[in-house]
Amino acid sequence: MLVLKVVALDTLVGSLIGDEEGNVLVKSLSPSTNINELVERALKLEDGEVTEDFIKSLRELVNTYGDQVEVVVTDDGHARAASALNIKATVSPENSALRRLRNTLITTLISEGVVKSEGEWVSFLNQVMIQATRIKLRGFAAKRDLLAIQAIRSIDDIDKTINLFASRMREWYSVHFPELDDLIEDHKLYATVVYEFGSRDGLSVEGLRKLGFSEGKAQRIYDVSRRSMGADLSEVDVERIRDFVGVILNLYDLRDKLSEYLSQVMKEAAPNITELVGPTLGARLLSLAGSLEDLAKMPASTIQVLGAEKALFRALRTGGRPPKHGVLFQHPEIHVAPKWQRGKIARAVATKLAIAAKADYFTGRFVADKLKKDLQDRIAEIKELYAKPPAKPAPAPEKAKRPERPPFRRGRRGRGGR
Amino acid sequence: MIEVVNIKPHGKYAGVYLVELEDGSVKLATKNLSPGRRVYGERLYLYEGVEYREWNPYRSKLAGALLKGIEGLVLSPGSKVLYLGAGSGTTPSHVSDLIGEEGSLYAVEFAPRVIRDLLRVCEDRRNMVPILNDARFPQRYSHIVPLVDVLYADVAQPEQAAIVNMNAKYFLRGNGHLYLAIKSRSIDVTKEPDEVYKSEIETLVRGGFDVEDVVHLDPFDKDHAMVLARYKG
Repeated sequence: MLVLKVVALDTLVGSLIGDEEGNVLVKSLSPSTNINELVERALKLEDGEVTEDFIKSLRELVNTYGDQVEVVVTDDGHARAASALNIKATVSPENSALRRLRNTLITTLISEGVVKSEGEWVSFLNQVMIQATRIKLRGFAAKRDLLAIQAIRSIDDIDKTINLFASRMREWYSVHFPELDDLIEDHKLYATVVYEFGSRDGLSVEGLRKLGFSEGKAQRIYDVSRRSMGADLSEVDVERIRDFVGVILNLYDLRDKLSEYLSQVMKEAAPNITELVGPTLGARLLSLAGSLEDLAKMPASTIQVLGAEKALFRALRTGGRPPKHGVLFQHPEIHVAPKWQRGKIARAVATKLAIAAKADYFTGRFVADKLKKDLQDRIAEIKELYAKPPAKPAPAPEKAKRPERPPFRRGRRGRGGR
Repeated sequence: MIEVVNIKPHGKYAGVYLVELEDGSVKLATKNLSPGRRVYGERLYLYEGVEYREWNPYRSKLAGALLKGIEGLVLSPGSKVLYLGAGSGTTPSHVSDLIGEEGSLYAVEFAPRVIRDLLRVCEDRRNMVPILNDARFPQRYSHIVPLVDVLYADVAQPEQAAIVNMNAKYFLRGNGHLYLAIKSRSIDVTKEPDEVYKSEIETLVRGGFDVEDVVHLDPFDKDHAMVLARYKG
């Protein structure tokens, strides 16, 4: 019996089956103009799934030409779908008839009246694929936000550890050279000096200069070291201290690496938030919220006081003043501002953050440029309108009066977020 | 905006312009398809009512290849292009300028980080179709991409010539052209760049390409070359 050889193509707007010359035999097009529907199909096809149109056109093929057909398809998924209909299928995407058929898709779409021109088709594809790509990106970002959260928590742990170890280092080395403690305030610099020179006898002005000390400072450290009242240490003693200090310096290195990594991950996971408040503060907010999803679902008022839960609940309980800001205090615009402006700026930052988080999580669109500009405008406005501290309010209500208020006043806060 | 003395078409490459500036320097440029918009901080020049975008050879290997006198610019209005390794969209934006509204550019990129920038470029340019996918698996975008006139590959992968061959089999029409940017250090750091170019070119020939020209991109990019080839298909 004669076997009919055909090629079958599954595309965004339907399926085509052609003969070996690339002539269309069967077509099943669903030229939907609903972008969301097409986006869904695009994502399916990229995963190698088979569309209903494809099955439909295979069925039609069998109905018209009998089941003695052999079909060439682009991938295993489509070959399996054909086999399920008892059609012999081979996978050969570079098949020349298949290539030709691929090329007739656009002309078919035009002759079918789905689109008027190739340009129209491409600009349509442009919209569909931008949307599909955003959805795929969101999938990536959703996992990356958890990495950013772990990274910022690690950085915080490292900071604590460095502080702990640094005070140990200072005490330990002070047995040998107590005066150095007052001479070098920076932990990292102190550690570097100990690590580089070991025993205080090893100090040299030139060596200190190389570490970045000014001439005068290097000379002073050197002079003090010559008449130190510290105890002499054996080589073994000094070596153990150096081992310990080496760990501290490694921690500093690790911290640098992690914060570089953090800014990378934050740009991927939450580009809008990162642009608005920087990677570190952005990651802290994610960390406090739990995930990008959680942060995206929070109202601005909650974001404003993230990190100040204790103060917030105390305020709710006692009816006192709620906190103006939580971790947002780290935003430079807030902590350099005069006290009476901080609450207003924090509120402005929080509202923009709420939008940024929603954009990052739900749409993947980049809107931070506009948000940032709006925020700057608002901050400038606040600075102008509230340049002077507000007049002192009337004498504070007596403490004894407080209990008159109901203990819990959810939903209404005493004086509003100032 | 810097004062432009004169803008004239490049004698050798259609669609490419030479911008003469006040300080005597001459820059490459393309007509901006989306006037008023910048893609990578490049300069915009307005001349006789038309806006041009400076094409920086240090940022775009194709511009570097043109400045090094590569044999022919195979992109013209209406070209269909499959672009592998579109990155954040620097070079693709100029390709988009060159092929115009009637052309189409299918931009494949796999790194989520840079694709965000690419999307912003695509939003301004309707002739670009972004595809977040792995160029090693052309079947994953074969439902969107038609046969193309030009395959542009800048994937900087050790097996890039093999990737190019595979994509050509799927999508490049007979007599279609290939631009392949070879970053020799990404393929094999231990080998001399020239050896790498040679072996990559051999792979292309096995895949059915006739090599028409090879230019070194030095000094714009060190240890890089651009290959122009024709697909016998």
